[in-house]
Amino acid sequence: MRELAFLVRLAAALARLGVLISVLYMQSAEAQMVVVATTSDVASLVKAVGADLVHVKTIIPPTTDPEAFEPRASDFAKLADAELIVRVGLGYDYWIDRLTDRLQRPELQQSGPRSVDASTGVPLLEVGGRDPLAQDDGHGHGMANPHYWLDPVNAETVTANIAAGIIRVAPSARDTVEANRNRFLADLHQRLATWSRQLAPYRGAAVLAYHNGWPYFARRFQLNIVGFIETKEGVPPSAAHLSRLIAGQSGVRAIMQTPFELKRFSEMLSARMGVPVVTLAPSVGSVAQATDYLSMMDYNVAVLARTLAPATR
Amino acid sequence: MLFVAVHANFGLHVLKRGVIFVDLALAQMSALGATIAFASGHLPTSTWGLVYTFLFSAIGAALLTAGRGLPKVINKEAYIGILYVVATAATILAVDRSPQGAEHVKQILVGGILTVSATELPKFVILYGGIGAFHWIARRPLQLASDAAAAGHGGSLLIWDFLFYLSFGAVVTSSVATAGVLLVFCFLIIPAIIGSLFARRFTGALMIGWLGGATASGFGLAASFELELPAGAAMVVAFALTLAIAVILRGFISVPAEYRKHRFRILVRCVLVSILTTVSATMIWLMVMPGADQPMLDVMEWAVGIGPETFLTPGEREIYADARREVRVRQSQATQQTSLERRSRWQGAPLSDDAVRRIGAFQQAFNEMARGEDFVVESLSTRARERERWYVGPAILAAAILGLVIIVPRRLRARFFSRSWSLLAARMLRRHTS
Repeated sequence: MRELAFLVRLAAALARLGVLISVLYMQSAEAQMVVVATTSDVASLVKAVGADLVHVKTIIPPTTDPEAFEPRASDFAKLADAELIVRVGLGYDYWIDRLTDRLQRPELQQSGPRSVDASTGVPLLEVGGRDPLAQDDGHGHGMANPHYWLDPVNAETVTANIAAGIIRVAPSARDTVEANRNRFLADLHQRLATWSRQLAPYRGAAVLAYHNGWPYFARRFQLNIVGFIETKEGVPPSAAHLSRLIAGQSGVRAIMQTPFELKRFSEMLSARMGVPVVTLAPSVGSVAQATDYLSMMDYNVAVLARTLAPATR
Repeated sequence: MLFVAVHANFGLHVLKRGVIFVDLALAQMSALGATIAFASGHLPTSTWGLVYTFLFSAIGAALLTAGRGLPKVINKEAYIGILYVVATAATILAVDRSPQGAEHVKQILVGGILTVSATELPKFVILYGGIGAFHWIARRPLQLASDAAAAGHGGSLLIWDFLFYLSFGAVVTSSVATAGVLLVFCFLIIPAIIGSLFARRFTGALMIGWLGGATASGFGLAASFELELPAGAAMVVAFALTLAIAVILRGFISVPAEYRKHRFRILVRCVLVSILTTVSATMIWLMVMPGADQPMLDVMEWAVGIGPETFLTPGEREIYADARREVRVRQSQATQQTSLERRSRWQGAPLSDDAVRRIGAFQQAFNEMARGEDFVVESLSTRARERERWYVGPAILAAAILGLVIIVPRRLRARFFSRSWSLLAARMLRRHTS
């Protein structure tokens, strides 16, 4: 009988504890700002700046090619309670405005008070100045080359934009956001020094890329991208283009490829030219090692340095 | 050549059975197998990957064989179409969350015939050789099964049906991954049609099909090289042209020598009628919509060396020439800025962010100027076309119609007009009476 009373008391205590935990959890969830990021890269930077203040949702799944992404019905649910949207900009994620337009939330639209264009202030490369929705060379690069987050120095500008956006929505969070950002930047600067040291021996190394996605990375680490396998997205290269690549690029030391791109052409060129293919992570989550922004850059620099190393010996 | 050799054989069977789209359905079933293997953590080229691929091929083969038992109201092609669409949708669902999966699906569609390496060839030779040998040994029952399938009976031959589809699935699985769905379809169907155009017997048709397929592949690859075209698509067009030539050739070969001159006259007449009809349609389009795209007129102008400048005033002509020159200049200035920035990434001192922004501003300005000049060129071209429609349109249209009247034999003309008139009269009469 006494045992039964003890068990009943224990069950009641556990139930009270459960209620307390769930109340605390709901309070913390309520306190968190819901931020929707279009890609896993900006999502990772939002987490770095917002930390516990934000609950980040990503629209493009990390293992999906962002340049081939089509929004789905479930994305409306993600956007329904969004307090802030962070976009890559430059037409890279133009579809987001169609979604927010359908939801009739003008504050989330481009240049709305609850929208952050992460590209603002970034020194752009290969500027075309076209309307992002206009037909162009098939890469969606009409406005400018949109792969700017692959230069780690641009993460400073991107995080500044994100911090300003969070503070605009929640002014009381200013101190925490700034402290988070400073901590992230300190880590970034430390790692940038290591990355630059790792790739310094390969300054001017000639490389081929499948897609024109690496100009910012090349600028930061002084690589010479001499050509691209793809001339138009989704259209296989012609025999003439491939043979020109083989004939004209005798000094090429690596072929840069992402997990989203066809491997056959890179592998064929690799076999013909005797140069290795290196699979880099163009976005957070595209390879298993790239769990966040900094580890993505760690991975890219390490794997590229390793690939270029034997060729220099 | 290897692809042509093995596919033409299957193509003849497929034509006989009247199940043209079966290759797509089987290819998609095996692609689904490879994709599910991938989603379960096996590489498509690993043993388990191949087991999954072949297993799904076998399921596809079984489903196609079972298709025989369906009631007659369900069309065979509809059944195959449903199989294809469901397999494709299932593949898309299976690869939705995996990056390499998306690449896999792209590969299935476009393929990469250029990237077949010498080390891969033995694999194909063994596989195709094995299947070729099986088809040679079992040629009798396979033929019987195909004939029975075409006639819609032959229940006792179901096992041969299944074996046919299974071997077909194995070939299509490997070839689709290499050449892509579009090209495999061409390899399969077009040489087989070419063969059956010239020969009744299976072996003869196969030989001629091989010859036609080899010629088309050669021309397609050469065109891809010379004209900078994607190899797969260029080969598909080359196959279609070869088929057209084969059809024309057959028109001459199949008749006695004394009729050939007559056939040749018919051919010339057909070509002239097509040209004149196109010219007439182009002129009508020009007169109705001078500002719209005029692709045929562009070709005609390019062929005779007359451009929109001819229909502009001297002042407009000067602006037109100037704007075209400016487009080139501005585009080359923008390209120069791009090259400058690209060189600076690794040569000399790195550019500061401000210097990069300055280059970006120049690129934007030059590109916008080029687009502005482009707009001038386009508006003047439209103005020229608006004049051209009255100077050129009616005259050429009248000449083309006159040409058609002369070329088309009186008998055909009379039949066409009498039918048109009688139809018109009947319609008017109906309206009048109602």
